[in-house]
Amino acid sequence: MLIGIDVGGTFTDGVLYHEGSILNTVKKPTVARKLQESIIAVLEELLRGVKEKEISRVVLSTTLVTNLLAAGQEEKTALLLIPGPGLNLRRMNFFPSAYFLKGAIDFRGRITEPLDREEIVEIAGQIKAAGFRTAAVVGKFSCRNSSHERQAAEILQERIPDLRVVKGFQVSGQLNFLRRAVTAYYTAATMDKWKGFATDITSALRKRGLVCPIDILKADGGTMPLEASLSHPCETVFSGPAASVMGAFALTRDNRTSVVVDIGGTTSDLALILQGQPLHASKGAILGGRYSSIRSFAVRSIALGGDSAIRWTGKDIELGPDRLGPAACFGGPAATPTDAVNYLEGGILGSLSSSEEALGKVSRQAGMAVKELAESVVAMVTGRLAAEIKEMFKAWEQEPAYRIWEIINKQKVKADRIVGIGAAAGAFVPALAGRLNCESFVHAYSPVANALGAAVARPTVSLLLHVDTENGTYHLDREGLAGEVSYHFRLEDAKKLALQQLQRIAGLRGIGQYADRYEFFREEQFNIIRGWTTCGKLFDIGIQIAPGVIDEFKGVQA
Amino acid sequence: MKKKSEKTGLVFFPAFDWAISPTHPEREERLLYTRDQLFEEGIMDLPQIVQYQPRLAELKDIARVHFCVPDIEAQAGEAHRIAAGGALVLADAFMTGKIKNGFALIRPPGHHAMRVVHGNRGFCNINNEPVMVEYLRQKYGLQRIAIVDTDVHHGDGTQDIYWHDPDVLFISFHQDGRTLYPGSGFADETGGPLAQGTTLNVPLPPGTTDEGILFVLDNLVLPVLEEFQPEIVVNSAGQDNHYTDPLANMSFSARGYARLNEKLAPDIAVLEGGYSVETALPYVNMGIIMAMAGIDYSNLYEPDYKEEYSKENPARLKQLAETVQRLNYVFSRRQELVAAARKKADSFFRKSRYISYDTDQIHEQQTETLINCPDCPGYLLIESEAVGARQGDAKIFCVSIPLRSCRRCRREALDLYAKTRRQPYEPYHYLYLQDRPADVYLQYDYITKKERAY
Ligand SMILES: [Zn+2]
Ligand SMILES: [Zn+2]
Repeated sequence: MLIGIDVGGTFTDGVLYHEGSILNTVKKPTVARKLQESIIAVLEELLRGVKEKEISRVVLSTTLVTNLLAAGQEEKTALLLIPGPGLNLRRMNFFPSAYFLKGAIDFRGRITEPLDREEIVEIAGQIKAAGFRTAAVVGKFSCRNSSHERQAAEILQERIPDLRVVKGFQVSGQLNFLRRAVTAYYTAATMDKWKGFATDITSALRKRGLVCPIDILKADGGTMPLEASLSHPCETVFSGPAASVMGAFALTRDNRTSVVVDIGGTTSDLALILQGQPLHASKGAILGGRYSSIRSFAVRSIALGGDSAIRWTGKDIELGPDRLGPAACFGGPAATPTDAVNYLEGGILGSLSSSEEALGKVSRQAGMAVKELAESVVAMVTGRLAAEIKEMFKAWEQEPAYRIWEIINKQKVKADRIVGIGAAAGAFVPALAGRLNCESFVHAYSPVANALGAAVARPTVSLLLHVDTENGTYHLDREGLAGEVSYHFRLEDAKKLALQQLQRIAGLRGIGQYADRYEFFREEQFNIIRGWTTCGKLFDIGIQIAPGVIDEFKGVQA
Repeated sequence: MKKKSEKTGLVFFPAFDWAISPTHPEREERLLYTRDQLFEEGIMDLPQIVQYQPRLAELKDIARVHFCVPDIEAQAGEAHRIAAGGALVLADAFMTGKIKNGFALIRPPGHHAMRVVHGNRGFCNINNEPVMVEYLRQKYGLQRIAIVDTDVHHGDGTQDIYWHDPDVLFISFHQDGRTLYPGSGFADETGGPLAQGTTLNVPLPPGTTDEGILFVLDNLVLPVLEEFQPEIVVNSAGQDNHYTDPLANMSFSARGYARLNEKLAPDIAVLEGGYSVETALPYVNMGIIMAMAGIDYSNLYEPDYKEEYSKENPARLKQLAETVQRLNYVFSRRQELVAAARKKADSFFRKSRYISYDTDQIHEQQTETLINCPDCPGYLLIESEAVGARQGDAKIFCVSIPLRSCRRCRREALDLYAKTRRQPYEPYHYLYLQDRPADVYLQYDYITKKERAY
């Protein structure tokens, strides 16, 4: 039996899944200051009448790190940058409290300017005096050569033995110094609190008699063992939308193109599954208002939901962005889009007379019939959603390509269906699908698809390998593993090396059974030429276990 | 029409799957290290920058500029059409106010491609800037345009295309043609008889530095632009003036390029040459983007850069001052020069010349006839014969009617095309018509007797 728990901003959802059936679902309000309690409360209900031994996996999707960052509760962290030539970050106020170090590495991983030991020793003194307990050290091109980051961190720790230091190469191997700096900074700043949460929840679950693996859902839709998350807390941000997308993915499971529409109380999240593959954001998740190197789904949030308040401005009808309470048909104080649907559909959702009464107040002000108002509101909601969906497809089509075949072969992709997720989805998705001229898909378990998505998401691992045969070196992101290669290394050798490393890491994480589901998402080969002769090759290999569902998942009976 | 935007548009199209040959300087990884530098810097994440995806230029976009033998498809492959399309995307974004300026970081380059294209010249088949300029004229009705070519090689293709066009100011500074390909671009090349003074060439002595080039900019380019008042300024942004370029001998630095772009403030810059792929391009491209986007570039430098690289020696400065003075004089008297030429000549001007294609080993013989008209810049007739081309030897005849042609000239030119087409024997392989006022482009094949319209 599998358990998935998604801690959302308003509700915490849980499901208990076993062999094609959802045995139990739970929905409870989230208590923001006591996430552990919310999780345990949901877990208690799910476990009612079930033997703890039978639970083979628990997956948590939690907003803890997102909340910490939103509330500015991250730990005070010293950021040390080794920027080398380029943007003048000192003057750009990129991070107000950053320290800048001498030293530079170029795109081939060559040191073009040495570190200055004295300078680092002096900065260590300042950091100590300022009382920092954590620090992040990030150098430009550290993904090609991490020696400067390592040396600087070593000097800091010599001087301040209990300083926790996160190095840039540990958080991302992708080219993007700014995003790597943002990620390393917030990793260092949230590590301690995340560790506290992880320890608490582990002991609570163990105390409750659960002996199974505990996994965490990441922003990219994959899971990782709770243990592995200790050094990568930021990968847990935006796991809520990831849970919804994985839920939609699990409920549909085919190669068609879907728009996932998660309609909440005051916001709606939109995401794309293109020909069976959830679409990731091209720029990475936003942390503290800046792009990071955390891979996340491309999710578009709009301030419009099933509970948005309907008002007459004197000229037009206005929807939200605020919520006065639940829909009138569920006992709320004012008319909402949910009431509009409920009225038009003859009370399928809740009290017809409450909806009619609430809508009537607004329609009298507007001088229109209740039916006319309700129809306008539904048209407005579906119109806004449809426009945003079109924008999402357009944005995807316009994402930069760097090869001729990418431009020639980028076909126009059109939505086959709209997949509704969340409690209010059933009310709007059919009308939206009609408007976009595609199928509507609302599953009986759509309201808890997020928790289901968490329960059945499989682990993901992604690796980047950079090989430079002229220098005779390779560099692997994650752990900053580096080594030597011969001049005669070929593309096939590089791919083999990347695969071996993927298998090794999967083994270490106890997810070896998924190691054969790898795919190469990047295979680049370039000649290094001096004058008119080739003097080496560069390879960039990307290999991953992509987001998907675990083997135990056999679909869900409606 | 134009709203203010604060953004700099960027098309980055490295064409990682296109090369002339595996070890040719114009090969796949030319922009690889530039990509690494731009991506690692994260400059595309800054709010000042907006990235665009290039599109495939239409065949018609190319027909506005070139007479391609045997046809456009043979000369403009997908890579060329995407490179030109990258410039068009930025042109649209600029004209609709979505960006304040833009840089098309594209390859393959184009500034050695002339009006008639039998093959590849100087790594170029299709000239991206003129394709964009003619598009801007047709779609947005622009009239006065300036192209400043800062590549180390003379932009002889662009010069050829606008040689007779008084509405397009073409300024090129480049290493002296006596010491570098293509061996042209001397100070006395100042435009056709009816467009004198709107082509300006500054040959730079080998070794010219930041200071020397900025001197030319300050004392010739900027004042001439101020006087000409173009509606749009295009920069053919070659990067082979750099002190590490393997194909040339100049001493320009990344910061010098940034300064040049800051001062010139082009509306759209289009990448041309630059073959120091590791030691120059990553830094120069970064510098150009920073300058265009108004980003502080004071921390940008090549790892081996030293301040003294930028200083100019007095002898070179003196030589440059003389050239600059002479060209300013020609430019200031351009209307008188054109009037005198018009008066002195008969009904037409004729010029014959030989053109060599270094990359493709083609020899072309060309005769150009410009009709001398009192009311317009005159229409142009080109007879061209090439040997050694991949597609076999070819003889062609072209009729080109300028956008600002008078009605009489256009009538005459259309009649001439029709008459030549009807000839019973086969005087040429192909006959071309470029009717810019109607935006209609025709190609007639004497063997198949088929006419194709773009
Ligand atoms: Zn050049
Ligand atoms: Zn005329």
